Amino acid sequence: MDERGFAVGQAFMLDAKKYWSTVLYATLKSDYRRRVRLTGREPQSAADVQALIGDTTLYRYYAWLERHLQRFKYSGRYGLVPYHRERAAVQLAPLEQAADDPRLELNPDLALPKYCATVDIHQHPGGVWGEPIAGLVYERGARSTTPMMGSRHRDLHQRFTDLVVEGGKSDRILDMGCGFGKSTKPFYETFPEAEIEAVDLAAPCLKLACHDAVQAQAQNVRFRQMNAYETDYAAGSFDLVTSTMLIHELPPKEIDRLFDEAHRVLAPGGRMVHLDFHILPDAFAEFLHYGHGRRNNEPFMQPWAEIDVAGLLAVKGFRNVSVEPFAEADGVDVTDNPSWRFPWTVIAAEKA
Amino acid sequence: MSKEPNREGTSEQTFFADPALDRALGVVMALATEVYVLRDRLRAVEALLDKAGVVSINDLDAPPTAAALQAGEADRQAFVAGLMEPLLGRQASKGAPSGGEAGHG
Repeated sequence: MDERGFAVGQAFMLDAKKYWSTVLYATLKSDYRRRVRLTGREPQSAADVQALIGDTTLYRYYAWLERHLQRFKYSGRYGLVPYHRERAAVQLAPLEQAADDPRLELNPDLALPKYCATVDIHQHPGGVWGEPIAGLVYERGARSTTPMMGSRHRDLHQRFTDLVVEGGKSDRILDMGCGFGKSTKPFYETFPEAEIEAVDLAAPCLKLACHDAVQAQAQNVRFRQMNAYETDYAAGSFDLVTSTMLIHELPPKEIDRLFDEAHRVLAPGGRMVHLDFHILPDAFAEFLHYGHGRRNNEPFMQPWAEIDVAGLLAVKGFRNVSVEPFAEADGVDVTDNPSWRFPWTVIAAEKA
Repeated sequence: MSKEPNREGTSEQTFFADPALDRALGVVMALATEVYVLRDRLRAVEALLDKAGVVSINDLDAPPTAAALQAGEADRQAFVAGLMEPLLGRQASKGAPSGGEAGHG
């Protein structure tokens, strides 16, 4: 595959996704509203919406495209996986140089939880831990996770970090499920005096995260391969625990353990701030989001959205719990956006 | 072409009453991607040739003359016929009478 063909093939698929996000989504929504008006009854659940539009031709195309544009992005002739496999030796060399860096600590004996091995999340063949190039594939794939933001996708992480900063300064920060470090970077750059620990299961992603930190000459971060809900940190080690797009990847039992672990490693008065997908403003959003979870191979998206997280955190001894929608860019309408968007949500709490 | 094996135990997600349509749309989308990649490459070749003075993009973009359109007519019609002919359901070879496997097309 030549570089030009890959770049243009990916650009074509991204533009198709943008069309889906705007024109197709808006048409589907307008058709849905017309049907609601005709029935005179506002749907109360995803099942109600399914009954109303689930069998329409428009929705079938919407669903098909959501599934298959993602499949083509990763696995097609111009897909990310074949592209990076062809170039593995060259592209992995700089990452291997970072392998001995003190900022990286891998654990080859770490066993992957069973739920990771059963599903290739995001339709990424082998998942984000399956092969050495998986971190590069994921990084490139994440650039178009939010199709309408394009190259501004990274801004989202800075925007979240800025929101966390408003809550005060932190000296010891834990980033849970840091992936290839896109969420960690704004933290180690925004808090140069703080010590940042970032953990993830996926060695290929951690190597890329460390490589980026070396490039950025960051001295205040460490990337460690471990399970976020089973870390080796002493109780009370951190004054801030954060995660970005981690919780929805976990089964409910592991979500429970994640909040327990966050509570354990936080010092009294420490804060926990997570960015994830949670608040669904209406039945239509609920229906599309649950469908998105199925189509994108994210089986825990729906169970996570159905958890009463504020209630759960209160039971676990957190105080000042807040669960609020998060606008990922200026001008976004978090309750009724004209184009498709993730239901970004900030979940924050303090250890009593 | 992707050499990914079918993931063991994973069932196909389908969205239409007939899964044949799901798969046929995949073919259409793969072809559309290929067409766009080719289109982009053609424009790149044209730009390089124009820069080298071999062809002029203005000449390439100019509308064809009536004579040129006329000269291309037979080729165009053959292209259209080849594209549309499968819609007619005509059989190009003599086969078994209906029944048995014939019911599957």
